[in-house]
Order: sequence, then C-alpha cells, then structure tokens
Amino acid sequence: MNRALNRLAGSLAAAAWLTTGCGSTSVNTLEPAEPTAQRAMVSDHRVLADRSLASAVRVVGVNTATDAAGFLKVQLETYNPSRKRKLFTYRVEWFDAQGMVIHLPTATSIPMSLEARETKFITATAPTPQAKDFRFRFLEPVN
Amino acid sequence: MKTSFLGMPLLAILLATGCSGPKTTYVDPGSSRLVTTTEGINIQDFSQAADTMVNSLIDQLINPGALRSGAPNQPALLAISRIQNNTGQQLDTDLLVRKIRVALLRTGKVQTSTTIAFGGPEDPLAAEELANNQFFNDRPTRRPDYTLSGKIIEDRTRAGNVRQSAYIFQLALTDVRQGVAVWEDEKTIVKQGSRPTVGF
Repeated sequence: MNRALNRLAGSLAAAAWLTTGCGSTSVNTLEPAEPTAQRAMVSDHRVLADRSLASAVRVVGVNTATDAAGFLKVQLETYNPSRKRKLFTYRVEWFDAQGMVIHLPTATSIPMSLEARETKFITATAPTPQAKDFRFRFLEPVN
Repeated sequence: MKTSFLGMPLLAILLATGCSGPKTTYVDPGSSRLVTTTEGINIQDFSQAADTMVNSLIDQLINPGALRSGAPNQPALLAISRIQNNTGQQLDTDLLVRKIRVALLRTGKVQTSTTIAFGGPEDPLAAEELANNQFFNDRPTRRPDYTLSGKIIEDRTRAGNVRQSAYIFQLALTDVRQGVAVWEDEKTIVKQGSRPTVGF
C-alpha cells in the first residue's frame, strides 16, 4: 500500500515538474561590475495587496530623470526571483503639482512578462511637463 | 404542502439562471479586464501603440528640444498624412492617430491642423473659412512644420493549436522643409492564443 502511494506521489511530482518545466526558462544576465551611468534613485512607498504578485514581480529600484523640456522620466527595475515565468500588467498614473491626476486617452494597462530570474526595466515618460508625480499599479492578468 | 414542493425546484432554477445568466457591465477602457483576441486589433492594442509612440516622440524629439516651429513662440504644426492599413481587417486609423494627437496637444508643444490633411481637410468648414480669411485679408496661411505618416501591418502564424497574430505599427514624422523623417518608430504587438480569451 505504502509502495503504491509512493509511486503515485512520485508520478504526480514528475507530472508537476514536467508541466511547469515546459513553459519556464531561467535568464542568465551579464553587465559591467561598475556601471558608468549614475542613476538618481528615489525612495518609494508601496502598498502590497497581492503578495504572490509582489513576490514574483519585485521592484528592485526606481530612478527618475528630467530633461530640458521638463518631462519627467521614470524607470523601474523589476526582477522575478521565482522559478516560473510571470505574466502581469502595469499601468502608470501621472499627477500634477497639486496632486490631481492627469487623464490621457493613451492611458492603458500594459502587458509584460518576466522569465524566471529575469530583470527588466519599465520606463515611462510623463505626458506633460506639468506631471510631477507618478504611481505604478501592478495587476495579475485577468483570464 | 404540495405547492411548496413544486415551488422549491422553480426557485432553485430561477436562482441558478439569475446567477449564471448573461451579464453586461461597464469596463474601464484602461484596465486589464478588456477582451483580448488573436482575431484582430483590440482597443487596448491601439492604446498601447499610441502610448509607445507618444513616449518615443517626447523622449527623442520634444524633450531634447529638437522640435522646431515655423511660427515664433508657437507650438509646432502637424498635419496628418497617409496612415496605411495593411491588415486584413477594416479599421479606422483614427483609433491610433487621434490618441496620439490628443496626447501631443496636451504636451503644449504640438498642434494638429484640421484644414490641411492627406485626402482633404478634416474640417471642411474651417478650411473654407480659412480660405475666405486669406482672400479678404490677404494673410498668408501657416503651413505645417511636420507631417505624420505610417502603416499598420499584420502577420499571422499558426503552429498546431496555437495561433499568433502580430500587429506592427510604424509611424514617421517628416520635417516638410527638408522632406526628411526626423523621427520614426515601430511598435509590435504580438498575441498568442488557442481561442479568444479575456485578459492579458
């Protein structure tokens, strides 16, 4: 009886490994040990309502830049520490100096995927020079 | 007693159909709850493409101060040229172009002409009034500084059960004084699926 149970558990584990293994690949990366570019990192405030999404899509750092014309640029470094590919969507909201949201017809949820152990950058440019603040919203895809 | 026995299954059926029946709800057009299909370009695809193009225009042309205006202290004037639809589906290219126009107008750096456009003026009455104004007041019309042209291309493939549709949005901004494309970009949206799905 015990042997039969062990066999069943073994075959279930193998099936699970096969099904997850088919769709997942891990990413190897390479970069200079001492990067030339200096990023202006900003401290962030996070509200984590979906723990599983937050653990699979980690925001490693946020940096910003403003060019001559005054358009704010934001860059998020995201990392998937898990062993599975992760699909998610993100959306950026922009706020003016008074904290009012700036509505745009191009505002949409952008789909993205991170392979296992992959790092990806998300960049966004403010729609107007009046945009002073931003908020990123991450969401699991709705199936 | 008999009536209550008959009423129970009826109530159960009513409840079951009430819960699982067809339901229509409003959906935020910017949310991730929109219907996504491999059969064609969905509205969120146009929004994504427009968002990428506007970001690219701001990053490469507006932010570095490379956008030039023919009229001093005025935003650059843009005219919409040919946006070719090379997909198999019939679509209104304004779904892409209008979003870009609105976003560019909000930057305060670009305005779009409604009297000069490929295929005739978008606003015929404004064009007529402008012509009258020129004729009676002998004032020169402002010519566009840039034209926006582009193409939407479709590529479909199928491997077994998996269907893949790729939509390529290509846009170019031409400086009319030189006839040179000063900005160009391409956004490719690829969708895979075995059947129409909702979401990602």
